[in-house]
Amino acid sequence: MSLATQQGDDDDNNILVAKVDNARNISNILKAIHFRDTATVFASSNGLKVTVEESKCVQANAFIQAGVFQEYTIRQDSATFKVNLTVLLECLTIFGSSSAPGMNTALKMCYAGYGSPLQLLLEEGGVLTDCSIKTMEPDEMLDFGFSSANVENKVIMKSECLREAWSELDMTSEVLQILMSPDKPYFRLSTFGYAGSIHADYPKDSDMVESFQCEQTQTNRYKLSLLKPSVKALSLSCKISIRTDHRGFLSLQYMVRNEDGQVSFVEYYCCPDEDVEE
Amino acid sequence: MKCIIPGTNIKVFGKAIHSLSKIGEELYLEPLEHGLALRTVNAARSAYGCFIFAPEFFYHYDNSSEATEGGEIEDVEETFKCKIQMKSVLAVFRSLSTLERSVDRCKITLDEGPRLVFQLYCKHSITKTYNLTFQECETLQAVFSKDLCPNAITAQAKLLTDVVQNFQLSLEEITLIVSPEKVILKNYVESEPDPSKVLHTQMSLAAEEFDYFQIGVDTELTFCLKELRAILAFAEAAGMPLSLHFETSGKPIVFSLEGDPAFDSNFVMATLADLGSTQGSQSSQQAISRAGTSTVGTSKTKRTVKRTQQQENKRNESEMMENRRLQENRQPNRSCAGGESFLPMDSGFDDMMNDGMDDVIAMGANEMEAALSQETAPQRNGALKHEASPERSASPEIPLELGKRPRSQYPEEKLTSHDQSHDDVSMVMEEEVEEELVPGTPPSKRFRSMFFGISSQSQATQAPAPAEKAEVLCEDTDDED
Repeated sequence: MSLATQQGDDDDNNILVAKVDNARNISNILKAIHFRDTATVFASSNGLKVTVEESKCVQANAFIQAGVFQEYTIRQDSATFKVNLTVLLECLTIFGSSSAPGMNTALKMCYAGYGSPLQLLLEEGGVLTDCSIKTMEPDEMLDFGFSSANVENKVIMKSECLREAWSELDMTSEVLQILMSPDKPYFRLSTFGYAGSIHADYPKDSDMVESFQCEQTQTNRYKLSLLKPSVKALSLSCKISIRTDHRGFLSLQYMVRNEDGQVSFVEYYCCPDEDVEE
Repeated sequence: MKCIIPGTNIKVFGKAIHSLSKIGEELYLEPLEHGLALRTVNAARSAYGCFIFAPEFFYHYDNSSEATEGGEIEDVEETFKCKIQMKSVLAVFRSLSTLERSVDRCKITLDEGPRLVFQLYCKHSITKTYNLTFQECETLQAVFSKDLCPNAITAQAKLLTDVVQNFQLSLEEITLIVSPEKVILKNYVESEPDPSKVLHTQMSLAAEEFDYFQIGVDTELTFCLKELRAILAFAEAAGMPLSLHFETSGKPIVFSLEGDPAFDSNFVMATLADLGSTQGSQSSQQAISRAGTSTVGTSKTKRTVKRTQQQENKRNESEMMENRRLQENRQPNRSCAGGESFLPMDSGFDDMMNDGMDDVIAMGANEMEAALSQETAPQRNGALKHEASPERSASPEIPLELGKRPRSQYPEEKLTSHDQSHDDVSMVMEEEVEEELVPGTPPSKRFRSMFFGISSQSQATQAPAPAEKAEVLCEDTDDED
């Protein structure tokens, strides 16, 4: 569709207008889920939810609450569109992504509704950039049916201690095994690669573990290739909540604190690789 | 075996592994009474690295395999040793800065069990356990003697690092020229392509720059730079002076770090043999001698037989004799090496390797060629480069020659050293020998050459062939009990 038809001029025509003083607050959190090119954006009065899926097995959501924006207006109950995330991120960081103090990129983001492009207006130090990113028909999103009522085990820990473990995962292993148990070893990450097996144990009384709620021993395996992308979220976050439900589905929730001290969340869902026979 | 490395020493241990990883693909681990030995050799067997961490280095050090916690394991007369893929160990010690920051202690356990276990006890009570697969093997031991070297210099690692930094990263070999007044380091330039079209870099260091400087024989040595960089990286990080012991071209050069009571490290590198020089007199004491020249005279004798076999019919006979001899000795030592090879490490595979070696010889060590050429002229493999240029030969492959020579040259010594050899090993040897020799008739040439071809390959690929303690040819070598 031509740009002429995808023109969004006035704020009046836009169903979504969001302004933020520091575009990095948005771009950083989007980077946490940037493991595929396209993302689906769901806008509601609560804010934006940006979703990326892979292989029908893993889903990542970034939640950017309305409060993160200095101005956030939506004239419909909700709006959904698909956009090229790589392009969106490139636009958001068009002035560079380094965080020089006092040099913030201001952002105004507008969307005029179905069929319209996503309009970005970026300004830094008096330089303006106008971006228009075409939007696409949204995909149907997976519903993992992960409900907190079914959560069996839950561990909340500081991201810091997992970061290293995660970045050094033995990629010759096909799976990452997560064991959560009310008894020793409490929380264990294992890989089984060519070199042998590697286990990392985190006792529940470690000062890195903030909360440990395990009712019963659960051992599940997840495809390492699916989980690996979540390292991006891990590196940005300060805390992580690891939950599994009765089916062995995994939910990883990352708390990401932005430069203004506001908190956003990124969530990964992953389905288990197989039933463990033990 | 069980040992615990305190957090303060993790970095040194990790660094040692990093530097060894730049030399070889496999790490040989052997708990000795006087410390934990980590060794490696490169695929070409031209470079060998060894660290021995004394019991003081550890919180706790227990080298006996039977004494591990429960004590249930049968008493084994020798300690259990193994080799593991360098990549696997490297994974444990990947990030030295993180290790130093977060690890309180590291426990290494090696039992008859299926895994070599590294346990890192980190801050915040986090534990990381690496259960690594390993292979049982014999001791890897290079035969060398520092004490008998007429030339010895000691320099601060920084000094050498600064010098070496001036050479291109792509440079493979470096030449060290010493005289009583100075040391010159220059890039080694092969005779082809035209040396006049290649960049030459040369650096000269006065004797005063060194902590210790004793040159008994003016000489010129060429050896690999990559391994030297690995050694220097460790030495500089450890802030320790590096000692170089060497003789003449074709004989190995030994780099050692001494002075820290907690560990000891030695690196041995083959040097390029120089045809021009006359090094006829090899020091018999040193296992590492250059076989080529010395053998000339004796070539007709059985000892030298190996080479002769190559072409003549009598080969087999001679080989048999050799083998016989081996059996008697029980010790397959092929240690050392000729000019370029110094590693005696193989045990069971020796026979094969030996055969392989002949080919290797061809590679270029000129000296040998000279000596050998008469006898060996036609090589079995035909592929061999025996006839290779009379000039210096390409260095990289040189190392392969390892084993053979020494045998022939130092049989007596071997005998003595053999006494210690283990029976089982020798058995293995015999079996192999038999296999080869059984027919009693010489295998056809064709077969042979194939066989050799293979063996030479295997040598390269299986570099890690188990070595035996007993193999050590000379008394000088260290860690034997």
